[in-house]
Amino acid sequence: MFERVEVFYRPASVREAVRLLAGGKGRARIVAGGTDLVVDGDPTARALIDITHSGLAYIRKQGGGCAIGAATTMAELEESRTILALGGGILARAAATCGSIQIRGVATVGGNLANGSPAADLVTPLLVLDAVVVVADAKGRRKLPIAEYLAARGTKGLRQSLLVEVTAPRPLGRRCGWSFQKLGRTALDISVVNVAAGLQVDGAGRIQWARVALGAVAPTAIRAGATEENLQGRTLDAEAIAQAAEGVMREVSPISDVRASAAYRREMCRVLTRRALEECAAQAGCAL
Amino acid sequence: MKTMELRVTVNGQPRKWSIGPGDLLLDVLRREGFFGVKRGCEKGECGSCTVLVDGRAVNSCLMFAAKVQGCEVLTIEGLADGDRLDPIQGAFLDHGAAQCGFCTPGMILAAKWLLDKNPHPSEDEVREAMAGVLCRCTGYIKPVEAVLAAAKQPAKRATRKREPAGVAR
Repeated sequence: MFERVEVFYRPASVREAVRLLAGGKGRARIVAGGTDLVVDGDPTARALIDITHSGLAYIRKQGGGCAIGAATTMAELEESRTILALGGGILARAAATCGSIQIRGVATVGGNLANGSPAADLVTPLLVLDAVVVVADAKGRRKLPIAEYLAARGTKGLRQSLLVEVTAPRPLGRRCGWSFQKLGRTALDISVVNVAAGLQVDGAGRIQWARVALGAVAPTAIRAGATEENLQGRTLDAEAIAQAAEGVMREVSPISDVRASAAYRREMCRVLTRRALEECAAQAGCAL
Repeated sequence: MKTMELRVTVNGQPRKWSIGPGDLLLDVLRREGFFGVKRGCEKGECGSCTVLVDGRAVNSCLMFAAKVQGCEVLTIEGLADGDRLDPIQGAFLDHGAAQCGFCTPGMILAAKWLLDKNPHPSEDEVREAMAGVLCRCTGYIKPVEAVLAAAKQPAKRATRKREPAGVAR
């Protein structure tokens, strides 16, 4: 499958990795855990650039939020105190669902994003956490809000770049709730649908801030912008949750595939959004 | 085909192999005679090819061999200490926790990863650790019991003798 690969690089820095990528004439492939690249195969690859020795495996506290190096593994995310404390630990929970221990020990946050699967489990929590993606190329580093990164991934502008870091700002603190919900065929399977949510209420139980993100139901994971707007300012109660859960069904564009039909996915968007918002409400101290 | 040199320690022995830059660890290990590393789905789903790389359980079918440069790889062949079986191997024997045996090396190595990290796991933790190894004879209860037993009585099983057996390929 990779018989035509001519060279395997292990760059010791981001600078070197970026230089190798630029010199690869479009036939160099970044490899971290390899769990997507190897399964997908790539007969056009002539060079492999292993970025797991490039200083990109770290989780740092940063201004109340955190910075996560692209080569950080799912296992490291799951167990990190910093990640468990961030936004109710939704990113750690999502990482813990990314396949078996054999996969989670090597699969990375950078790979989960860069591979661009609409079902990638880390993406919905990162959307809810207002994450920013840092990419590097020969010209330097750039920051992109995660939604922009998802839209631009694979375009010419980003093809020669290396995803180096994901940052999340300090999440809101008081009267907040967070949730990650995943529906898969089995405990280890890729998502049929996944939903992440976060919200904050004021002392009267009115929603001050809301995020709802859905995965595997559109070409990329998406935020349900209209639903978020409708939640804003409302009292967080059973009716608000029911209407939001109905609302997301109009914002998604699922397809039918081997795992589920479009209609089933749409219905599950409603169910998982309801569950997610109910969990958020309980954490935020709102009785339903 | 271009080749490169791979220096790696396998089951405690330093090795120097010539590999292709795109070779997968599963292919290299089997080429070098480690047939306890089983070729199953080759998609990271069945776990039959599980080995430990620096103590971490990985699917060798998904790992480029070049990635283990300078690492310690443990395959099922390296688990027993001479004639003394590892406690997990002993517990699998005692519990009859193998049917056709094809998934057994992966199960035992996944269990070793768990017990090295967490010597007293709950049944749920055992099931989660083993979830990446599929048994198509459909016997998970005995392997789970065996791992729980190995966690309880390591001293007893450390003295168990290896039984003579042919090498399954």
